[in-house]
Amino acid sequence: MTRRGSPRLEGYAILAAIGLVAALALRRPELAVAAAPFALVLAIGLQLAREPGLDVRFTVAGERTVEGADVEAEIVVRTESSVDRLELLLDLPKGVEVEGEDAVAVRLRTGEERTIPVQLRCSRWGVYEVGMIEVRARDLFRLVVWETRLRRVHELKAYPHSETLTRVLDAAETQAFTGSAVARVKGDGIEYADIRDYVPGDRLRSINWRASARRTGLVVNERHPDRNTDVVLFVDSFADLRDGNRSTLDDAVRASATLATRYLERRDRVGLVSFGGILRWLRPGLGPSQRFRLIETLLETGVAPTYIWRDVDLIPARILPPKALVIALTPLVDPRYVTTLQNLRARGFDLVVVEIDPVGLVEAGRNELERLAYRLWLLDREVLRSRLERLGVGIARWGDGVALESALEEVRTYRRYARVARV
Amino acid sequence: MRTDEDALVEVGFRVAALALLALVGALVLGWPSLVPASLLLLGGLYGARLALDDPALDGASPFFAAGLLVTAELGYWSLEERETVKAEPGESFRRAAFVALLALGALLVGSLLLALTDGVRAGGLAVDLLGAIAAGAVLLVVVVARRGRRDDTRAS
Repeated sequence: MTRRGSPRLEGYAILAAIGLVAALALRRPELAVAAAPFALVLAIGLQLAREPGLDVRFTVAGERTVEGADVEAEIVVRTESSVDRLELLLDLPKGVEVEGEDAVAVRLRTGEERTIPVQLRCSRWGVYEVGMIEVRARDLFRLVVWETRLRRVHELKAYPHSETLTRVLDAAETQAFTGSAVARVKGDGIEYADIRDYVPGDRLRSINWRASARRTGLVVNERHPDRNTDVVLFVDSFADLRDGNRSTLDDAVRASATLATRYLERRDRVGLVSFGGILRWLRPGLGPSQRFRLIETLLETGVAPTYIWRDVDLIPARILPPKALVIALTPLVDPRYVTTLQNLRARGFDLVVVEIDPVGLVEAGRNELERLAYRLWLLDREVLRSRLERLGVGIARWGDGVALESALEEVRTYRRYARVARV
Repeated sequence: MRTDEDALVEVGFRVAALALLALVGALVLGWPSLVPASLLLLGGLYGARLALDDPALDGASPFFAAGLLVTAELGYWSLEERETVKAEPGESFRRAAFVALLALGALLVGSLLLALTDGVRAGGLAVDLLGAIAAGAVLLVVVVARRGRRDDTRAS
């Protein structure tokens, strides 16, 4: 610990020295009497001041939390010698807050151990290192201050909170494994598809006896099998438009986490590509462990500025399986990302764009020229959207005041009628 | 008609006002170095009054000493409270009691010293010697404190 004198120490030393010298100079003992208490406080205080042997521990109740939720933590402090005032300041990274005060002062007797409960809250998703503690101890006379900065770091992962979403988009084509999506092909399943004439080898329980009674021969029911789908979440990390309350990247990560959770609940395979300055990917997989893998990969998402042109060729083929539904989450502001979307569509991927609407984050401008540029930008975005829609790409505009569910419902309607688009 | 005494009183008031201003400045601006400056002005005023009036021995000096110490303690305490650190309940009362105890101690020590000085007042040399020893002791304390701080910094 670093020991330093408090302002009181210097002040009292000055007062005592000047008082005593003045007493000598003016030959007035009253001045010595006035200076004596300061000298006495210095003498006794410095004699009694002992460095406190502190043992500080910091524990967090869990390693994972959801943004906005409280996490219990505690600081346990023990001292070898008494401390009149021990100040503990929890120095937290941006995005983590303490419910209440982040600095506390306690008084400890010799050998006493004290537990100070702290309630942490992550205001934004991410991976945080918490546990930097600034310690300041003062003696009884407050003449000496011991200070140190302790590193008792714990990693805390704040998962993005889920958006309300009860129904997800179905992929145009299903995969071979069993799942919850009704396949377009006919086979063994639950959903009724059609009837056809009986052929040897058909199971007896598929015979539709009512229909057979009205016809000359036996008729069997055909059904749609339940299959899973492959979904790839394609997150745009080229740019992040933000103001004090909202960020397009934050929203994209929240939407991705929500979509991943819902698709995995349906036994679909979900993969992830974070496409931007740094390219990250996760192979499609299923199950609860895949959800954790996905979200933890999403937590590492950030904007790394780059001028390098990125192309879809950079993404390994196994990350984008055939017949996969690719859901792009983007503010549609970076031309490299838009070109990549067009490339993906040209390669035959079933593509949906969830546009994280950045319009509310951009000011219209103060003068006429700026306002004109703003209007042009809006028009340019409209053109971009219609160009993507002409390619058969459904676009869900998700932003202020629009629920993710309603945005996806628009795409569902669009895909119902625009599926015949050919590239 | 304005006398010399009136002029001195006026100067005294001005110095006292300046001391008050320095103290208020210290508390408002958070500058701890202004606290001893304010107290030095008050001490200087007291010393000037003693030099001019030249009383035999001022019996109020222990009270003045206790007052100075309480002012300094409260001033520094106030400066420490500028930092928003949530303290345990009852700490303020404990600190206030400690300051009161210090004031009482200052009063007691001042009275003892005054009585001692009165006893040895016959010889001027004794007072000089006492003052010189006390001044030397204070300097020694400061030197020891600084050396201790250097050692601690090196060790850490």
